Amino acid sequence: MEKNKKNFKIVGKPIVRQDGVTKVTGKAKFAADYNFPNELQSVMLRIHSSHALIKSIDFSCIENDSNVAAIIDHRDIPGDKKVGVIKKDQPIFCSEKVVTPGDVIAMIVGKSERELIKIKDKIKIEYEDLPVLTDPSKSLETDAPLIHPEYKSNLIVHYPLRKGNVDSGFSNSEHILEQTYTTQNIEHAYIEPECVTAIPQIDNSIKIIGSIQNPHTTRRIVAAVLGISLSQVVIIQADLGGSFGGKDDTMNILSARAAVAAIKTGRPVKIKYSREDSILESYKRHPYVMHYKVGYNSSGKITTMKIDVTADGGAYASMSPFVTWRTVVQATGPYEIENVWTDVKAVYTNNPYTGAMRGFGSPQPIFAQESIMDEIAERLGMNPVEIREINALKQNSVTSTGQRLENHEVTLTKAMKTAIEKTGFVDKWNNYRNQSLDKSNFILSGEDLILSEDKFISRQDKLRRGIGLSISLRGCSLGAEGIDAAAALVAVQPDGSVYLLSGLAENGQGLRTTYSIVAAEILGIATDKIIYLEQDTSRIPDSGPTVASRATLMGGGAFRNASEIIQKRITNLLLNEWQLDKEAELIFEDSMIKHIASNKSIEFTEACSFASQRGINLSVVGWYKGPDVSWDEEIGQGSAYFTYVYGCHVAEVSVNINTGEIYINKITAVHDAGKIINILGAQGQVYGGSTQGAGYAVWEEIDKHNGFIREMNFDQYLIPTSKDIKSIDAIFIEGEDDYGAWGAKSLGEPTLELTAGAIANAVKNATGKRYFNLPLNLEEILLNRKLRPEDMKRGSE
Amino acid sequence: MIPELKILRPEKLIDLLDLIAPADGATRILAGGTDIIPGFHINSKRFSSIRKLVETVKIPEMHEIKEEDDSVIIGSSVTFSELINSELINTYFPLLVKAVSKIGSVQIRNRATIAGNFVNNAPCADSVPPLLVYNAEVEIANKNSTRKVLLNDFLEKPYKTQLKDSECVVRIILKKIDKTFTGDFYKLGRRRGVAISRITLAVILKKENNIIKDIRIASGAVTPIGMRFTELENDLIGKEITPELLVSSSQKLGKNVLDVTGLRWSSVYKVPVIQRTFYNLLENICLD
Amino acid sequence: MKITFKLNGENVSIEVESYKRLIDMLREDFELTGTKEGCSIGECGACTVLMDGKAVNSCLVLAAQIDGAEILTIEGVNQGNNLSDLQRNFLTHGAVQCGFCTPGMILSSLALLNENPNPTVEEIEESIAGNLCRCTGYKQIIEAVKATAEMSNQKLRNQSA
Repeated sequence: MEKNKKNFKIVGKPIVRQDGVTKVTGKAKFAADYNFPNELQSVMLRIHSSHALIKSIDFSCIENDSNVAAIIDHRDIPGDKKVGVIKKDQPIFCSEKVVTPGDVIAMIVGKSERELIKIKDKIKIEYEDLPVLTDPSKSLETDAPLIHPEYKSNLIVHYPLRKGNVDSGFSNSEHILEQTYTTQNIEHAYIEPECVTAIPQIDNSIKIIGSIQNPHTTRRIVAAVLGISLSQVVIIQADLGGSFGGKDDTMNILSARAAVAAIKTGRPVKIKYSREDSILESYKRHPYVMHYKVGYNSSGKITTMKIDVTADGGAYASMSPFVTWRTVVQATGPYEIENVWTDVKAVYTNNPYTGAMRGFGSPQPIFAQESIMDEIAERLGMNPVEIREINALKQNSVTSTGQRLENHEVTLTKAMKTAIEKTGFVDKWNNYRNQSLDKSNFILSGEDLILSEDKFISRQDKLRRGIGLSISLRGCSLGAEGIDAAAALVAVQPDGSVYLLSGLAENGQGLRTTYSIVAAEILGIATDKIIYLEQDTSRIPDSGPTVASRATLMGGGAFRNASEIIQKRITNLLLNEWQLDKEAELIFEDSMIKHIASNKSIEFTEACSFASQRGINLSVVGWYKGPDVSWDEEIGQGSAYFTYVYGCHVAEVSVNINTGEIYINKITAVHDAGKIINILGAQGQVYGGSTQGAGYAVWEEIDKHNGFIREMNFDQYLIPTSKDIKSIDAIFIEGEDDYGAWGAKSLGEPTLELTAGAIANAVKNATGKRYFNLPLNLEEILLNRKLRPEDMKRGSE
Repeated sequence: MIPELKILRPEKLIDLLDLIAPADGATRILAGGTDIIPGFHINSKRFSSIRKLVETVKIPEMHEIKEEDDSVIIGSSVTFSELINSELINTYFPLLVKAVSKIGSVQIRNRATIAGNFVNNAPCADSVPPLLVYNAEVEIANKNSTRKVLLNDFLEKPYKTQLKDSECVVRIILKKIDKTFTGDFYKLGRRRGVAISRITLAVILKKENNIIKDIRIASGAVTPIGMRFTELENDLIGKEITPELLVSSSQKLGKNVLDVTGLRWSSVYKVPVIQRTFYNLLENICLD
Repeated sequence: MKITFKLNGENVSIEVESYKRLIDMLREDFELTGTKEGCSIGECGACTVLMDGKAVNSCLVLAAQIDGAEILTIEGVNQGNNLSDLQRNFLTHGAVQCGFCTPGMILSSLALLNENPNPTVEEIEESIAGNLCRCTGYKQIIEAVKATAEMSNQKLRNQSA
């Protein structure tokens, strides 16, 4: 770990974001802000059904309408008619069947969106409704309707993990606890709805500009749908108005539709979604049903865990195989357990499909495993810290996948210790607990609507305070999900100014700024000398997607690599010029390059000009490839990820036991994300991620009836506002690691995954009542159920 | 989708009344627009016949808040922000300020108007419960005449009022109440910021020597429309304030609500919780 | 119909369709695309502009309704090439991530500071409660507004000293 440079000039300081000025002045161009001459607008054609056979479509009454430039459907697609990252099960346009209400049958394009909407309903579609499958626990039953009959089963994927012997583990355990937990569908709720424009080029290639999270993925899909080569598709990423994992598959499909229409009409075609379109068609976070059976001893040592998880994949496989893979790796939480038996399945239903969302298969099991850890502690008369200290992964511990944690600093208990000291956790937890003992009288029976006298609670007793914690480990980057490598272009100009570009795309989180800092640190220049180029797939190698909190780690590594190559070239040139020893070290800082012993120095700009005159190439595409990982599919064993990060959240809440309202007073978030590159950006990740995590815990839910979503806009789908979380404290502990740029690792997703578990434990501490089903909304708190006409699968009571 | 519209902007009330006189179903008054414009977006049937909008913005008497003898007169197009900033309203009708401060966001309160809130008669119109306990009167005009009606009578059923297509609410008249009244307003939403009400309650009370001399109780959101509970009010007048009374009157309110709503999917939550929140509200008013 | 109004300090007249909302006119007819559309029903606040000094959702105002009014959009917040203190503080406090809510946030904050030069944290929270942000968790935005109020009060104190 000695490779890590210690005295940083810029790294770790608060640096203003590279695209900040354009964003505070309204000049930043998001996808809907681009207009092209002769551009066509589009509207989608859907039917009101969750599962139906399409029998006939009659476009004749609009075919000759002057407002219609073209009608686009599956017949217009020259290449792949169905797409998908793993399973190609999702049609660009449905032709035979509709399997969820967001499905699109055709698209009409024309000059005026308004006129298209007016005539859209004239199209006659005959269809026959099929039996609808909405309960994932019924997906694998023999008489369940098949969503995609070609696969002969509704099983998307099944991951087993087998370690030790759970049968003897349970029979040798002094205690066993079994519980079931459920979590809900939620929406990414990026504030910018989807938008993309496809522009046909004179050389028969196509250019696409849009709100696209992963331009290289989109390029691959568009090329496949059009049946053309990758080099004929250029994707440009507009400023992205939030994504959180959400502008991937949906944007690939919208881009493909726009591209097909642009080729057919020979004109630019724009697809711009309303919020309702966005919520209807975009994918969500997976709802999980999780059974946990835990064997433990009176000492507090957990010996055995058996876990069964069913994830609702909805109508399409999308990222389900990757999302649930992370679940199988991390389902036991950050604990060292001898015997583990885990089964994680993702299944098809007619619900809206589910895919990547910040957290990616970890917020669900963390809620479950952190709840059950607290419950075990309670049963043993321990506090939440004691039970975790006994079982937490430490240096050289072995994970449930059989991986020894030895190549990086394991800071899990350090993170927890930092959080509990900062919050005075144990004293508060004991005090609140004593106040809440034997006071679950606030729970409503659901039968006697007129309250008996003892169910009235005085105003001074109605607010109960609670504190709770959760801890996690998180595998960094893709792990055994895929090839993990990234490219970075650093192009130093003869005047010392610098262009940067990465194959990893800015999602709004500040990646360009992070990369600018890495390059500036190594080259010893100020970040304002750096211009970050427009994201364009034709200019930079595919670096994999901006997902899995991998951008800082992988892209940072690539920028470090490129910058160090340039530094080395300049160094060699100067050592030669100054007639110094070939091994002599030059210092790059404050826009100067110095050799201390000989007192020789040169301005960075001058050195660049000199290099240019000498024909030295200072433009470099750097590369960073993650170390190999291993995975045995049959038993779920191997080195799943090449390194990990650790964190702890403490939530302090007040619960109004008269109404069931939860107020979030404070979240203390301690994270080891390795080296922090930009403290402003890092804090922003913690504040934003914790807030999303609190939304997941308390307010947010996409509720469905027969596959139809009820919350179609922000009046019904409630994300946290400025008034809903009182305070967030972000604390970083920088564990040592070799990978990436000086051991700068993952942060975006850890900030979200821990919050719901901590809040659930705080609510238990406040009320004395344990809850098993997210979100912890008003009705869940008072009635232990969600109020809706059709009750869904639920966990323990 | 917003239809092609004719948008008119009369400068005198009489001109506005002339414009709406045909009562053709296609003409609607546009005040703040915070219901109608998003209503167009979601293709709400309530607004689908509109082809002509008549703005109130230029008509001075619809934007005034003024004192007249023992009353305060509020123009029907006064916005929530204007109510919140009005000294008169803060002095005499604090529950109204408390209620409208919790409606929507600043942006909504800067546009949405008092009459707009109740002419649509949505169950969750938060200004209604305080207006009901203050016995608000509504002044309604058409081309030929003006009439006054109690808000309580004006509101008929969800999304339906006494207002005819040819009529316009011009002013709201609030009689100043006896200074010995105390009161409180309560709102429950799912979220702290910008939340649609699940339950609202407004109560004002006059007591002497711990005896209830007068009480007025109104709810919103939990009942199909905002409503007064006069039977319960009459029952409480003359009673001594005791812990038992607070409980029994809360239970009675629960029964009254259940009688009005019948058993709905939300009753198992809302009926008990209105009892509890009413109980806490009575504690605030009676015990301080 | 023809309307005349003041846009970012300039008097303008335009013939506009009756079904256009203020946001449509700003984005399409004046090419002021800094005003964003996130929900179209007045819930997200991304389209916030100032109308006669007050924050409004431009998706809930018909273009015809602004005849005679004064409109300020994000493009009119900075004077020339200089950022306002509020904009600068948004940058230095990390109040911007994806930036889609930022124009609306800045205008809501500006309306607050114009009316209330000394807002409490609660007043700041209330003033931006109608502006949804999914990236930042609001904390750095609130700090930026607070810092701007402090800067302008410091300037006033310096002037009077």
